[in-house]
Formats: sequence, structure tokens, C-alpha cells
Amino acid sequence: MKEIKVKFILNGSPIEVLSSPNRTLLDVLREDLGLTGAKDACGGEGECGACTVISNGKPINSCLVFIGQVEGAQVLTIEGITPKDGYHPLQKAFVEAGAVQCGYCIPGAVLVAKALLDTNPHPGDREIKEGLSGNLCRCTGYQKMVDAVHLVIDGGLDD
Amino acid sequence: MQDFEFYRPGNLLELKEYLSLPGARVLAGGTDIIPKMRQGKFTAPILVDTSGVKSLDFIEDQGERIVLGAMTTHQQLAESRLIQETNPALREAAASIGCIQTRCRGTLGGNIANGSPAGDTLPPLLIYDAEVLLQSLEGERSLSLEKMILGPGQTALEPGELIHSISYQPLKGKWGSCFLKVGKRSGMAISVVNAAGAVVLDSSGQIADVRLALGAVGPVVIRCLETEKSLLGKRPDQGIFQQASEMVQHEINPIQDVRSTTSYRAHAGGVIAARVLGIAAERAARRKD
Amino acid sequence: MTERIAAIGRSAIRKDAWDKAAGKALYTADIPVDDLSLGSIVRSPYHYARIKEIDRTEALKVPGVKAILTVDDIPGAKIFGPLIEDQPSLADGIVRHLGEPVALVIAETRTAAEKARDKVKVTYQELDPVFDPVEAAASASSQLHPEGNVVSELHICEGDPEGGFQAADVILENTFHLPRISPGYMEPETSLAVWEKDGTVTVWVSSQHPFTDQAVIAAALDLPIDKVRVKSAVIGGAFGGKEDSSLAILAALGAWKVSGAFRLVNDRRESFLAHPKRHPAQIKYKLGAAQDGTITALEAEAYLDTGAYASYGPAVAMILTETLGGSYRMPNVKIDTYCVYTNSPISGAMRGFGSPQAHFAVESTLDLLAEELGMDPIEIRAKNILKPGDDIFTRVRMNNSAGALAACLEKGSQLLKEYQAVEPQEGKKAGVGLALAAQSMGLGANIPDDSSHKLEWAPDGRILIHLGSPDLGQGLAAAAEQITAEALGLPYDQIQSLPLDTLETPNGNVTCASRMTYMVGNALIDAAAKLVQSLIEQAGRLLEIPAEDLVYQEGKLIKPDGTSLPAVEFISRLAEDSIKLSAESTFSFPYPADTTPQHLPLGMPHVLFCFGAQVARVEVDPDLGTVEVTHFAAIHDVGKVINRQGVEGQIEGGVATGLGYALYENMVRKNEVWVDGFTEYLLPTAVDLPENYQTIILEVPEESGPYGAKGIGEIPLVPTAPAVANALYDAMKVRIFDLPITPEKVLGLDK
Repeated sequence: MKEIKVKFILNGSPIEVLSSPNRTLLDVLREDLGLTGAKDACGGEGECGACTVISNGKPINSCLVFIGQVEGAQVLTIEGITPKDGYHPLQKAFVEAGAVQCGYCIPGAVLVAKALLDTNPHPGDREIKEGLSGNLCRCTGYQKMVDAVHLVIDGGLDD
Repeated sequence: MQDFEFYRPGNLLELKEYLSLPGARVLAGGTDIIPKMRQGKFTAPILVDTSGVKSLDFIEDQGERIVLGAMTTHQQLAESRLIQETNPALREAAASIGCIQTRCRGTLGGNIANGSPAGDTLPPLLIYDAEVLLQSLEGERSLSLEKMILGPGQTALEPGELIHSISYQPLKGKWGSCFLKVGKRSGMAISVVNAAGAVVLDSSGQIADVRLALGAVGPVVIRCLETEKSLLGKRPDQGIFQQASEMVQHEINPIQDVRSTTSYRAHAGGVIAARVLGIAAERAARRKD
Repeated sequence: MTERIAAIGRSAIRKDAWDKAAGKALYTADIPVDDLSLGSIVRSPYHYARIKEIDRTEALKVPGVKAILTVDDIPGAKIFGPLIEDQPSLADGIVRHLGEPVALVIAETRTAAEKARDKVKVTYQELDPVFDPVEAAASASSQLHPEGNVVSELHICEGDPEGGFQAADVILENTFHLPRISPGYMEPETSLAVWEKDGTVTVWVSSQHPFTDQAVIAAALDLPIDKVRVKSAVIGGAFGGKEDSSLAILAALGAWKVSGAFRLVNDRRESFLAHPKRHPAQIKYKLGAAQDGTITALEAEAYLDTGAYASYGPAVAMILTETLGGSYRMPNVKIDTYCVYTNSPISGAMRGFGSPQAHFAVESTLDLLAEELGMDPIEIRAKNILKPGDDIFTRVRMNNSAGALAACLEKGSQLLKEYQAVEPQEGKKAGVGLALAAQSMGLGANIPDDSSHKLEWAPDGRILIHLGSPDLGQGLAAAAEQITAEALGLPYDQIQSLPLDTLETPNGNVTCASRMTYMVGNALIDAAAKLVQSLIEQAGRLLEIPAEDLVYQEGKLIKPDGTSLPAVEFISRLAEDSIKLSAESTFSFPYPADTTPQHLPLGMPHVLFCFGAQVARVEVDPDLGTVEVTHFAAIHDVGKVINRQGVEGQIEGGVATGLGYALYENMVRKNEVWVDGFTEYLLPTAVDLPENYQTIILEVPEESGPYGAKGIGEIPLVPTAPAVANALYDAMKVRIFDLPITPEKVLGLDK
């Protein structure tokens, strides 16, 4: 199978990857680029959200995108929102609220929360839960994830 | 994951050209096709990615009809003021699909091409007499949505054809429409049964026009024509909609599968048929001419 | 003297949470390794079949394939199993469940491995599978294993059951069916093994029992144990399902074969088919009571479907049996429990371990009994509830911590009334329900259960915990650090748990059975005392002061003249002399000889329990049968809170899993195929949570626990399903005897 060249913007920097076209963005992130924050929990069916990245401002499942489909897109992964020193307010909030247990679903959940707040800075409980409804978690029961988003909205983060 | 050739056309003509290659299939959002490919339930030697063809991504009010490009995502439909104002059933349906991640990628064209009897956008389109515009290098043709979807996972798409757009006709006068679905859980809910209904009332408050479509109760989404006929000229009330829920039983043919039973789908189909009609009628009554 | 905020009882931020939130935490599949081979497993497409031939020729021709292993290539033990060694690492002439591993492909890339996997030609001779454990237990059924289909059976007879039923004014008998459930951890099973140049193998595991993995890997490779090193990677959840070494063994075999690095990752489908599930169970439950509500007799018969291999089946059967009395005095008891092989996927350990199944029967029946007698559900429970000093039918006496049950019931009763007063939405029917739970802690009597951990005082002042049991994500490390901080009077931030490495870490035993905080905490408190003693002795030697004249307090040593010196000064000084300050301690789960009954099989009884109550309010759409849990309260006694947000997190997560058991989850077989993905196996999502949810934590101290603490790991999912089922009955007068509750069943349209 012929490889294709794909150019896109990854975490703010232009990048060109070479890959067989039948690999997903998730495959390329994890296997070629060493960005293992995005995870596979459901076997690539788009049922768990652990592979969530933000593409052109929208949260998407990177397991449901062949690499060729991100040509020209602006892709943001969990590594991309983590500053060199310190943490994104949502990361901080998830940690402080106790929403991180095994942590496997967390990068996806943080990114979907970020995408939610970027479009709607003041969601209510219902909207937060709906926003998170595509991210499965078996450890936490989601309550503290909702608390974490509130911490950011209500400005209750410890400094 | 199977091997395939991948092309990403930058415009509609290029898209048609690639599609005319033997075995070529459209890859739109990918949310249906990619999991199917992993399971070996979909296979194509050539995939043509339509995300670079911006002319397929639009929502337009063309006066007589509202036209939606095939690449319109479910999230775009869910956020569209125009759709809320002309076909709230479609907006409600799109907003109920999957989760934010899949709505941001899943497309209307893809939902139609997938041809699932449980496809949530289908009943709201069916009740608005939706037409599908198909294009290829050879030209174009228009099909009613009914003629487009032939069976579970089967459409009238010929090799080389793509879905360009879907159009529907807004209702006039005192109208209302509504969509409901029954799922097995609230989040990421695949429909066990779904329904879309529309009611138009005349000046005396009687039903002048009524449409009802039920999904996941047969091999294709079913427009319940007999039930519709039986409601014409009547005054909306609980009683007539209750009768409608019984009438639809003669028009639907639900299956038993891992998700639900024939008897439950039949019963629940009737329940939500009555409810969408009731809500549609209320919305119609509230509308100022 | 500085003020120290008590380390326990508050919410402490887990130190590993930061890397997890940043996407930097290294789960097994994330660990970067050079020259990595990747694998794929050839799996049986049949439920039950003989293997006639395995032809690897075509598969070996696939470019990039390095080797393909079958059972004959295994140098050492070909079978393993935690209780009964009946599970082949690779099938040996016969396959007993769909998805059973038959061959292992090792290749340069995952793609090549999968291509080759699909080209391995296996010739099978199909046999007739049996899926029903009752049928399988009957002698006429085909025997799946040489010793027959009944893996284990238990027979309990206490008091005079016949007489008890004769004395009863009311007798209720019902059969309950509990479904097959996936633990549903988000990280599928993964293992990475590296064959080192010195002939040893290092294996990273996502596992609850790394030391067991070490032993079975050594056996499979025919190596002495000290040539196998197992390291615990960051674990993405386990819930009992990762007490199975199958993937670790295969990864090690692959690494051995290619003398290099080899990684094996299950996808979600493989995880569903080939890794342990919660036992489906059929429980016939008969309860007799007097007119005043006093239970007079219990008779139960339970069949557990343990699937193709035993795994922890017999142990699950024990806890299921022991918890069939729930939180109540049961004077006359007859129980017969059978753990049976079928051609279904393997059932094994899963959070709750038999107790959720039993409690569904108990707590549903208590409500049925209440209705029959015209009593209210609180009243009947209050009548029979265990109190300190009561004996349960295993002849174990409840200690003071059992006072928590009455407290849980009291609180539950208040909430029940509160929820009853809420007006239902238009068109909906509302109902409330409650359930109690008593969950056992520990592995069971006469099973050796020693948990060793070590503390090391580093020269930089940090206390390093060599934590001998893995943190599965539940927060064991943070609790261990808080307890250590408390014991040493040091800030929590100064304590650091180290990743588990069998080369360096003492054996803390398997992480399971609601006993980790208890065991680890007790061991560390003792180790802390030993560490302090060591410090004092060494400091005394250096200062030339008798040790007994030195006092340790909050990181300082106080001399007889009242002056104090920071302990860290001594640690660095000792480090210069190459003296390491460390202390190891082993805590053994207590089964005091004078109070632990000895009449039951090995592994019974359990002697320590956690207690809780849960209250549910549901609204049902009477026409659609859909059930919404609108209000929910979880009331749990933990003895003593160590990490407040950790305890809350365990409860909230457990409740969500319990709601899944109640309403959504069912791994069924339809048309020869098992449900094997999250599309059809429905886990609760964020919008499926109750809108109004509260956790109420009680602290009734457990004398033998670290600072009075007990377990919380399993119990939060135990009373959930019966609480919801009881609420549903209150709303609709529909009693569900087989989980999950579905709209189809609510309306009687499930056939």
C-alpha cells in the first residue's frame, strides 16, 4: 500500500507525516510521534472518548479519523495544552477535585472539557454532563469531573 | 485494518473523478465506516475523503426548500437556527446522536448513505418530503429519501455517485414538528425506536396535514401513511393520538435483536408516535400565522 | 515547634495525578522501547472444539513475522490458574471458549502480526457447547474438563432449617438471575516483556498481582524465579479483572522466543472474550419469617457459571455463599452452591466477588417479605439487622464496627422519607428503595495473607515507600503516603511511593478484597515505628547518647537537654557511611485462632466486614418502561477516612458501576456471538448519573485497622442494584428477578 504525505498543524507547529493511509490519527500520534496521551479503550469504535483530540476547535475521536483526513487541520492533543512549566487550569482542576483515579480516560475528558468551555464559558451541570457523555470512565462515576469543570468556571482553583 | 488507496480531492469535480474509479467509495466523517472496516463489515479498495470539498458543507435557505450539503455535520445541524426554525424535529434528532465527538465528525450525507433503519436524521427528513441530490461525472439525479434508502444498509447509490445535498420543504401555516427517540441509556444512545411527527392545523384548529415516520421498526424508516390519513380533519386531542398509536401497529414490522424485542419496539413505537404528534400539534397551536 | 496538620482524614492530592492529567503517565502500552516486536493472538472462533491441526506455513511467509508459537513451543508449564491449574496459556488440543488463545504471532509491526494471525490455518472439529451451568452440572452433560463440570461445591447447614421453615408464618421463594458483567476497566490488558542479555526477562504488567505473575512466568519459561523481574506500570483500572496472568505469560514467551522486546495488547473485543468476567449466577432464595418479621430460616441454592476455566470461581462461590445472609441474623440456614464450568468466557474475580449477586437476592427478598407481612422495608430490616456481638451463620461474631449497620439504616431511613416527599414529574411514576450491604474483607480464613512493605528514609529527607502491592488507580499509594505521614509526623508531600519492582520491592500480596488500606496501613505504621527506632539507635550511636534518652517527634530528634535536631541531618550523615535507614514490616490479615471458626473449607469464613446502605429514588415512564434514577445516596462506614476525596471517589465510581449492573450491563450471547464491545455493552455515561447524588461517610472505628480504617473498594457497588429494584417496585409494582432492569422487562415485553 502506497504511503501518503499528510501536512497539518500539531500542537501549534506544522508537521508532515508519512504513513500508509489506513492508519488513524490515533495510530500516528501514539506510534509515530510518541504522543501517547491519547488512548484506545474501546477498540476504535468511537465509543469511549479516550482518544479525544481537538481538531479545528472541535473535539473528535482520533480513532475515527484516517490520517489523510487531517490534512491542513489544527490538531491539539493533551500534550499540546500542557504548558512547559505547570498545568492548564483544567488539568489542575481535575487533579485538585480528585477526578483522576486510574487516569486512563483523563486526557480525553480534559480535552473535551476544554472544547466545551471554549465554545460555552458558563455551562450548567446538565451541559457539562452532556459534554462529557462521550467519555467513558469506570473509576470515578463522573461526579468529580463535573466538580472539576465547576472549579474552573467558578474560579475556585488553588493558586 | 484493510489496505486501500486514499484520495483527498480539493473540489467537487476532482471528487467525481476519483469516485468514478472502480470500487471507489466516499469517506465523509468516518464515524460509521471506520468501525465497520475494522469489523470487516465494509470494504473498499479506494476511499475518497470529502472533507476538502467545501462546496458540500452548507446549510441554505433556498426559499421553497432548505438545502443541506452532504458534509453538514450533526453538530452543525444541532446548532442551526434555520433548522430549528424550519424543521425542529431534525435539529432535535441531530442533537441526540452519539456524543459531541461523533457529532462533530458525523455527517448528514453519511447518515443517509449508512442507511440504518435506526438513523436518527431519517424520520425528520422523511416527514418533510426530503429529496436527495446525487451527482456523478455522468450528471445528476434527484431521488426522494424514500427511494434512496432501500433496506438496512442499502441505498440507491450507484458506483461513481455521491450524495451532494439533501433538501426538504418547510411547512407553512400553523405547523409544528417533533422528534423523539427511545434508547437504552441517556448518553450515546442508539435508537431502539425513534419517531418524527409533524402537524399542520387549519384556521379552525383541525388537522389539515399530518406526517409521521417511525424508525427501527422495519427494514427502512416507515412513513405511516394510513395512520396519517386517519388523522386528517380531526381535532387534536389525546384520544386521536392514542388511536394513532394503535394504528401504526399495522404499518410497522419491528425485529428482535440484541437491543430489544419485537413486542417492545411495537409498543414503544406506538407510544412515541402518539407523543410526537401531540407535541407537534401543541407547537402548531402555539404558532402565530 | 511547627504545627502539623494531620495527614489523614483530609483530601490529599495523589502525586501520580499530575502526570496522568498531562498525558505523561506511562501505561504499559505507552512505555517507549527500542527494537520492539509486536504480537497478535490467534483465537478460537468456536465455543467448544478439538484442534486437529495448526498450519503456520502461510502465516510465516508474511513479511515481518518473526515467529509463531503454539502450546508445544512453551518450554515450561503449559497451564496456570490461581486456584486450580486448568487454564492453558495456549490451547492444547482443545478450545473451550470463543476467543481462547490458540497461537501467538510475533512480528516487527502490529500490522504484520495481524496479517499473519489471519493466515494461521487451524483445523477444528466442532463439539456441542453447553452454556447453562445447571445443565452443565447434570451428569448427562459433556464434561469440559477431566474432573467433570462441577469445579467446586459448598454445602452449609446451620441450626435447623426444616424446623425454621415450619415455624415460619410466611415463606417466600424466588429465583434470581444475575448476568455476565465486564469489569470494564478502560485500559485493556497489556504486557511488555524484554529479554535481557543476561538471560533474565523483565516484564511490565498492568496487574493486581505482579508477584504471582512473576511466579507463573518463571514456571512457563522454566526459569528460576530470580531470573524473572516484574515491574508494575501505571495501571488503567482493574476491578478484579487483572488478577489473570495470561497476557503476561504470553508476552514473556514472545520476548524469550525473539530474545528481545515484545509487547502484547488486547483490543477491547479480546478483553471481552478472553479475560475474566463477573460470574453469572442463578440463585434460588427461600426465606421464612414469623409474623413479627423475624427471619426464621434461609434456604438457598446457587449455580455460578465460571466459564471455560476456573479462575477465582471457587473463591467467588465462597463469598457469594457467605453473603447470602446479607446484613441480617439468619438462625437456620441451608445453602448449596455450585461453581460450574461452561463453554462461556471465563468468569473470575470482579469487584464484589459474589456479594453483588447474593445481595440482589437478599435485599430484594427483604422488601418482598416486608410487603407480605404488611411491614415497611425499614422496619423489617431493623428487626433482623446484625448488631455487635451477633453471630452470622458462618459462626463469625460481629465486632463493634457492626454498629455501623444500624447507623447506616437510620440514615438511609431519613433519606428514604426525604425522597418519598419529592413530587414526581408529570406523567411519571416515582418510587423509593433502600438496600443494606455487608461486604467481607480479606481472602478468607487459613489462606496465608502476608503483606510486606518497606520504608526508606532518603538522604534528602523524603520517606520512600516500597509499596508491595500495586495501586490500580484507586489511590492506594496516596493512602499509604498519608498513613506514613501521620505515623511519622511528617508532611504528606515528603512521602513518596515507588513503583513496584519485584527486584526491589517486598511482596505486599495481591491488591484485592477490600483489604489494602487495612493491610498496607497496618504494615506501614509498624514499619514507621521500626524506622523511628532505627533512627534513634543510629542517632544515639553518633551522638553518644543512650537511645532511650532520645525522643522522636515530627521529623526531629529531641535530646535530653531539650534541644532538637532534624532527623534528616542524621540520615545524610549515615548515608556518608553508606548506612541506609530503612524498615520493613509484614502484616498478616488477622484470623485470631480463638474466634475464627474452623469448620468451613479453606478460604472460609471471612471475619471482617464493611457496611453500607444505599437509597434510590426512581421515576418511571409508565408507558415506555424507562427508569431514571433521580436521587441517590450512598451511606458507607469506612472506620476512619484516610483520603477523603479518595473515599468519595471509590464510592461514586462504585455506585456508577452498581447502576450499570442495575440498568444497563449484560454480556449476552446472541446468534453464536458474544456481545464484545461498548456499542452493545452499555456502561453508564456522565448523563446517566442521578441528578441528585450524595455520599455520606460514617466512621465507626475498626479497632484492628490503621487509625481505625477499614475497606471501601468493593462495597459501593453491592447494594445499588437491589436499591434500584426496590425503588422500581415501589413505583410500578413490578418486581424484577433478573438483572439488568430494562424497559422491556418493566413492561413485560421482554420475550
